[in-house]
Amino acid sequence: MSPILHARGLGKQVVSGERRLDILSNLDLEVFPGESVAILGSSGAGKSTLLGLLAGLDTPTRGELTLFGQSLPSLDEDGRAGLRAGRVGFVFQNFQLLPTLTALENTLLPLELLPGDDHQAKAREWLTRVGLGERMNHLPKQLSGGEQQRVAVARAFVTRPELVFADEPTGNLDRGTGGKVIDLLFELNREAGTTLVLVTHDHHLARRCDRCLGLDAGRLAALDRDEVEA
Amino acid sequence: MSHGARGGGGLLRLSLKGLRRDLRASDVRALFVALALAVAASTMIGFFLDRLDRGLTRQAGQLVGGDIKLEQGKPFDSDLRRQLEEAGLTLADQVDLVSMASRDASFQPASLKVVDGAYPLYGKVRVDLGGGIEEVAHGPSPGSIWIAPRLAQLLDVGIGESVQVGQSRFPVSGLIEREPDQSAGFGSFNPRLMMHLDDLEATGLVRPGSRVEYELLAKGPPQAVARVEDLLARLERQGVEIEDVREDRPQLGNALERAEKYLSLAGLAAVLLAGVAVAMATRRYVDRHLDTAALLRCFGASQRQLTQLFALQLLWLALSASIIGALLGLAGQAGLLALLTRFLPLELPPPGILPLLLGILTALAVLVGFAGPTLLRLKQVSALKVLRRELDPLPASAWLVVGVASLVFGGLLWLYSGDFMLSLGLLLGGLAALVVLWTLGWLLLGAVLRLAGRFGNGAGGAAQALRLGARQLARRRQASLGQLLAFAVTFAAMAIITLVRGDLLTTWQAQLPEDTPNYFAINIQPDERDGFTDILNAGDASRSALYPMVRGRIVAINDQSPEDVVPPESRGDNALRRELNLTWKEEVPTGNRVVKGSWFASDAAASPADGTVPISMEDGLAERFGVDLGDTLTFSIGGADITGEITSLRNLDWDSFRPNFYIVFPPEVLERFGHSYITAFHVEDGSDVPGKLVSAYPGVSLINVEAILGRVRELLSQVTRAVEFVLAFVLLAGVSVLYAALTASHTLRTHESGLLRVFGAGGRLISRIQGVEFALLGFTSGLMGALLAELAAAGVYIGWLDLAPRIHWPMWLVLPLGGALLIGLIGHALSRGVRRQTPMASLGLLGEA
Repeated sequence: MSPILHARGLGKQVVSGERRLDILSNLDLEVFPGESVAILGSSGAGKSTLLGLLAGLDTPTRGELTLFGQSLPSLDEDGRAGLRAGRVGFVFQNFQLLPTLTALENTLLPLELLPGDDHQAKAREWLTRVGLGERMNHLPKQLSGGEQQRVAVARAFVTRPELVFADEPTGNLDRGTGGKVIDLLFELNREAGTTLVLVTHDHHLARRCDRCLGLDAGRLAALDRDEVEA
Repeated sequence: MSHGARGGGGLLRLSLKGLRRDLRASDVRALFVALALAVAASTMIGFFLDRLDRGLTRQAGQLVGGDIKLEQGKPFDSDLRRQLEEAGLTLADQVDLVSMASRDASFQPASLKVVDGAYPLYGKVRVDLGGGIEEVAHGPSPGSIWIAPRLAQLLDVGIGESVQVGQSRFPVSGLIEREPDQSAGFGSFNPRLMMHLDDLEATGLVRPGSRVEYELLAKGPPQAVARVEDLLARLERQGVEIEDVREDRPQLGNALERAEKYLSLAGLAAVLLAGVAVAMATRRYVDRHLDTAALLRCFGASQRQLTQLFALQLLWLALSASIIGALLGLAGQAGLLALLTRFLPLELPPPGILPLLLGILTALAVLVGFAGPTLLRLKQVSALKVLRRELDPLPASAWLVVGVASLVFGGLLWLYSGDFMLSLGLLLGGLAALVVLWTLGWLLLGAVLRLAGRFGNGAGGAAQALRLGARQLARRRQASLGQLLAFAVTFAAMAIITLVRGDLLTTWQAQLPEDTPNYFAINIQPDERDGFTDILNAGDASRSALYPMVRGRIVAINDQSPEDVVPPESRGDNALRRELNLTWKEEVPTGNRVVKGSWFASDAAASPADGTVPISMEDGLAERFGVDLGDTLTFSIGGADITGEITSLRNLDWDSFRPNFYIVFPPEVLERFGHSYITAFHVEDGSDVPGKLVSAYPGVSLINVEAILGRVRELLSQVTRAVEFVLAFVLLAGVSVLYAALTASHTLRTHESGLLRVFGAGGRLISRIQGVEFALLGFTSGLMGALLAELAAAGVYIGWLDLAPRIHWPMWLVLPLGGALLIGLIGHALSRGVRRQTPMASLGLLGEA
C-alpha cells in the first residue's frame, strides 16, 4: 500500500533578524490510509509548523513531500489548495470558527466550495452527530469552548475527507471537555475510515493513536508504547 | 502599575510610549489620517472663506468706491465728517455732475467725476499717463484732467492738449482705461472726465439749481462700520442715500452668499466623512487594545487609570493630527488662492487665527463624538480575559454610538451654520433617515442571502463566486450593516456636494449667459430706429428689444403729494427725486414676470375712461412706496400730467444687463411726447458693429458695460473655482473613508480567506468571491446613499440654499454602479496582500510552532 502522505528530508528554516533558525530539519515521515498517527512534542518543538507543511498550508525550505501521490513543493498555492478541497479536514487548537457565522454556516463553509445540492442537509446531519442539533443557529460566542470545538470537528468531517489534521484539538479545553471531544474525533474517524494526523503534547491523547512519533530538535523519531507512557 | 497607583507623570509617559508603538498599527494611522483630514477640511475652508469673504467685500468695496457711500444733493457738513472719522473711517470726497467739455468748436457732454487726494479708497486706476497704461493709486493732480479715450476721440485731443470745462481750461494728463469703481458710472451714459476737487470751484459749474451729486466715501474695518450704523440709519431717514457693501454687495445678489454656504456645507460634509472614518478606525483600535487593557488590569490598573491612559493617548493623537491637519489646511488654502490669483488679481488679507482654533475644536469634537462610546469598552475589560480570550466586553450599543455622534455633529452643524432650527431639523431628519436605512439595509441583506441560494450549486465559475460572495456579505449581517450605513452616508455626502455644486453653477450661468448684453445704446431718435437695428441685425450682435423712452416725474400718488403718501424711509427715494424713464410695450418685457394683477388688455389704451390709463409697476418700487393694485400715480411729462392706475406688478432681474423699467405704459399713451429709444446688445470682442454705429449715428450714446460685466463674471468664476476645489477635497475625503473602513474590516476578511484556502479554495476563486462581496456592498450602499442624498439635498435646498428641490435621476444610476466599482476596486486592491499570504499566516498559526 502506498502512503497517503510522504515526507523525505523535510526542512523548514526561518530567518529571524540576522539569525537563521532551523525549526525542522531532515525529517522523514510516511502515513498510510486509514491509520492514525500522533506527533508528540513539547511546546515550541515545531509541531504546528510541521502540520502546516504536511497540509500544504506552508512551504518547506527543502526536502520532498507528497500528499495523495502529488508532490506538494511542485504545486503553487492554488494547486495545493485544489488538492485539499474536499479531501482534507482540519481541527485547530483555537477552533478557527468565523465569529459572525452561526454553527451551521461555519460547518457549511468547506461544503460550499464543492458542487452538490444537499449541503444544508449534510451540515445539519454532521452537527447533529456531534450533538449540536439544537444549537445550529448559535454564533460561536454563544457556545462553550467544547461546543465550539465540536462545530470544528463537524466542519472537519462534513466533506467526508480522506485525511484529517488535528492541531492540539484539546489545547484550549478542560480535561473533561477535551476528553469528550477526542472521543468524538476518534469515533468519527473510525466510522468514516479517515486517516488522522494529530499533533499534541498530551501523552494520553497520543496513546490513543495507532502510531506515535516524537518531534525533538526538529527531527522525528518513532516512539514505542513505553516511551509514550513515560 | 505594580503598585496599584501610578502618578500622573508616569501615566503621561506611558501614554506617549504607547502611542509611539501604536503608530505602527494601521488603525491608529487611519485614525490619525481621518482626524487630520477633518481638521484640514475645516481649517482650509475656514481660512479660505474668512479670507475670501474679506477679500470679496474689499473688491465689492472697490466697485462701490468704499465700504460705505453716502450720496446727497448738497455738500456734507464737517460735523458728520468728524463723527465718521472718530469712528475710525477714512473719508474721500467725490462730486458727480454732467457738463460740456469742449475744444475749439466741438462740444461733448461729459460725465464729470471730481475726486480728492484720497481717491481711490480701494483698488487702482488703470490710466495712460503718456508712457503706456499703468496702474496708479491716485486721481489727476490739481490743474490737469484725465479723460476717457472715447471723449479724447470725440474731441480729437491727446495727452498734453487742453480741454475747456466750464470757465476753466485744463491740460489732459491721462487717458483712463479703467476705474476701480466703475459701477458708479453705470448710471451716467456720457464719457468720463476726471478732475481734482480743488479745481471744481474755478469751473463755475456748481451753481444753485445745477444737478450735482455729492458723495462721501468711507473705508474702514468692520468694527468701524458697525460703530456708525445708528448714524447711517438716521441719515437715511433724512434723505441721504446710503450704500453699504456689506449689506448690499452690488450685482451679485445672493450668488455669493450661496457660494459661502456651499463651502461651509462642503466643509461639514468633509468633517462628517472624517467622523465616519474615525468611528470605523476606533472599532479596530479598541479590538486590538482589549488584550493590552486586560494585561494592565492584571497588573493592577484601575478602570479610571485605564480610561485616563487611553484618553491621553488619543488626546496626543488628536493634537498631533490637528497640527498636521492645520498645516495641510493652511497649505491647501494658500495653494487654492495661488491658483486663483494667478488668473485673477484679488488681493486677500492674511489668514486669521479663528479658523485654526475652530479646526482643533472640530478634531476633538469628532474624536469624542465618533470614538467616545466605543472607547468606553476598553475600561470595561476584565483581567480574566488574559486567561480566557472569550471574555470580551460587549460591543458598544450601535444606538449609543450613533446617538452621541449625531449629537456632536449636530453641535458642529449649529456652530458652522449658525442656524439652530435648521441644524436640529437636519439632525432629526438625518436620524430618521438612518433608521429607515438601517431597516432597508437589513431587508436588502436578507434578500441578497435568499437570492444567493438561487445561483446554482455548481463548483467553480462565476455563479459559485456570486453565491459565496453574496452569502459572505449577507451572513455577516451586523458587520455588513455597519459598513453599508457608513458607505451610504459617505456616498450621500459626496453626492450632495456634487449635486449642489452642479445646481449652483447652473444658477450662476443662467444669471449671466454668454450673450449677456455688453453695450447699451441710448438716445436713438425715432427716425434713426430702423437704420440702427439694420446695422445691429446685419452684424453679429444679439440684442434685446428696442424700448421707447420718455422721461417723467411722479407728481402725485392717489392725488396726494408723494412725500405724504410714501412711508418715511422712502421719502428720499431716487425715484421720487428724479425723472423716471418710462416706456410703453404691448407684451410683458423679456425677463419680466407679472406677479400680481394682469397685463394690459389689447385695447387698454385706446379709450382711457376718465383719463386714467392702466400702468404696470415694478414690485420692489411698489413695496417701497407702499402702493398696490388700484392705486394711481400721476406723472408730469413734458408739461402735461398723465394719471395711471396700477393694474399689474412685475418682478424683474436688475442684474440682467437688459434695459429695465419701473413703470410700463400701454402703447399709444406716450407716443405724442418726445421720445427716444434704448436697447442693449451683445457683440463679440473686436466686432466692428460698435464702430459702425458710432460713425453712422454720432448722436446715439453707446455705453460699453463689458468692464462691469467682466467684474461680475470674474467674481463668479473665482467662487466657482473655489467650489470645484472644495468638491475635489470632499471626494478625496470620501475615498479615504472607504479606505479606512475597508482597512478596518481587514482582519475579518483575512481570517475568512485563510479558512477558505485551508478548505481548498484557489486564489482566483477567493479573489472573485471578494470581488462580488465588495461590489455588492458598493452597489447596495450606493442605492441607500442615493436615497439619503435625495432626502438631504431636498432639505438643504429648501432650508439653506433657497433653491427649488428636484429629483436627480442620474444619481440613482451613478451611485450604485460607481459604488460597486469604487469599493470593488479599493477592496480588491486592499485584499491583494491577503490573497498572497500563506493560509498559515492568514490564520495566525505561524507563532504557535
